[in-house]
Order: sequence, then C-alpha cells, then structure tokens
Amino acid sequence: MTTYGWLLFLHITGAFLFLGGAVAAAVFNVSAQTRERPSEVAALMRMTQVVVPIVGLGSIMTLVFGLWLVHDVGYGYGDGWIVAAIILWAVAAGLGGAGGKRERETRVLAERLAAEGDSPSSELRARMRDPATIAMSYGAGIALLVVLVLMIWKPGAG
Amino acid sequence: MPLELIRPSDWNLPLFVHVLGAIVLVGSMFALVVLALASRRGANTELFARLAFRSTLLVVLPAFIVMRAGAAWIESREYPSGANEPGWLGVGFAVADPGVLVLLILIVLGWRSVKAGGGGRAATAVTVIAGLYLVALGVAMFAMSAKPS
Repeated sequence: MTTYGWLLFLHITGAFLFLGGAVAAAVFNVSAQTRERPSEVAALMRMTQVVVPIVGLGSIMTLVFGLWLVHDVGYGYGDGWIVAAIILWAVAAGLGGAGGKRERETRVLAERLAAEGDSPSSELRARMRDPATIAMSYGAGIALLVVLVLMIWKPGAG
Repeated sequence: MPLELIRPSDWNLPLFVHVLGAIVLVGSMFALVVLALASRRGANTELFARLAFRSTLLVVLPAFIVMRAGAAWIESREYPSGANEPGWLGVGFAVADPGVLVLLILIVLGWRSVKAGGGGRAATAVTVIAGLYLVALGVAMFAMSAKPS
C-alpha cells in the first residue's frame, strides 16, 4: 500500500472518530435533555465523558495526517480551502471544548442532586437547556460539517 | 498527485451523502453499544434499553439508509456499467448489505429488551451484535479509504 493510502486511511479514521464521536455525544446529550431525574441525567452525561478521549484523538489525527497529506500530495498549505478547514477545525475544537466544560459542570450538579434525594430540579433543567451551551455544541457540529464539505469539494484545488 | 484524487465534480454530492451517512452510522452505532451495555445491569436498565431501542430506530436506521443510498449513487456515477469494480468496493458492499439484516435483528432484540425492562439475553445480544457490526464497519472504512490493491 502506498504512503498516500496509509495517510488517507489514518486521516479518514481520525475524521470518523472526531465526527462519529460528536454524533455519539449528541445522542447521549439529547437523551439527557429529555430526562428529569438527576441520577438519569448524570448517568447519560457520564456516557458523554466516555466519548471525549475518542473525539480528542480523532481531532488530532485529522489535523496531523491531514497536514501530512497536504505535503504528500503537493497541495499548498496556503490554499484557501485548506486554510478555511484549519480555521474551522480550530473553531470546532474551541466550541466543543467550551461546551464540554459547561456540560461537565452540569454533570457535577446532576450527581450532587442525585446524592441529595434525586428530585427533579429547576436549576438542572435550566442548565440542560442553556442556550449558550446548546449553541456551542451545534456550532461545533456545523463547523465540522463545513470541514467535511471542504474536504470533499476541495474548492480551488488544482 | 495520486490519480484517485482527480474525480469529476458531479461525484462530490453522492460521495458527501455516503460519507456523512457512514459517519453518523458509526457514531450512532457506538452510542448504541454503550447504551446497550449500560442496559445489561445496574441502575436505570429499563431507561437505557428504551434509549438504545429509540436510537436504533431514530438515528442508526436513517443513517444506514443514507449511507447505503449514497453508496449506490456514487457507484452509479463511478462504475455505471458495473464492470471492472475493484475489490475494495466489494468489501464495502459485503459489509453494508448484510447490515439490513443486522439492523432488523437489532430492532427486534431492542424491542424485546425494552419489554423485559432491560437486562437479560436480549440486551447482551444487542451489545454483542452492534459491537461486531461496528468492527465490520471499521474494516469497510479501511477498504474504502485506503483502497488496498
């Protein structure tokens, strides 16, 4: 198998871990938003924590092997679609990280409430539906979707 | 520049549909494995069984349909006569097509797991079958992306 074949496989594996992990996290988060009991919310949000290292590994693999592919194939590091993809990758990582931090705080609250009687709480409900956290998660997802579009269409590539 | 990088622009949309469906399928299948595993024992087994079943119907199944439709679409563009199809494409279909049966089995077992309130053999079977199919999807991804000769 060629170097290009290996690099492409590792780059795409990274993309599947990054985006697939984000999909899995979304399944757990959306499920958590439908629950009222803190113990159930906490259990589902702990599942999201399982995905975090997978998403992290995938994000690093996409960037490292993507840049290596640019060199191997002979694209320019300054090509518009590559620069745009790198910027959007950083935006997705930043938004995902910030949203994840807020979700960790929500999980800690849910675990505390679960230990204190496990009764539905308006504070937890408000945190679960926090517009800023939701906007960060959706923003990260949209940025990754645009990166995927750029990777397939490669606008302006020679 | 490798020859496989040069493709007609009208292949891009079918490829995007196929890849997006595949990514959502892999991610949701992983979520299903985690939920099914959690539904086997411990607290909230009934909840996790219900969420695993719902995820299969609402995310895994639609993603599979999009992935498979995208695969047929890009194949019709890339190999319109069906002749001289490479081996890596065969690997992709060998994993994708039995997926219909796998999903039907997962839906039936998931429903039985919900009826049983989680736990039991149905929940274990969902975990094992979904896990094995996730590995098969990984093999297909290797064949489709690395295209080993």
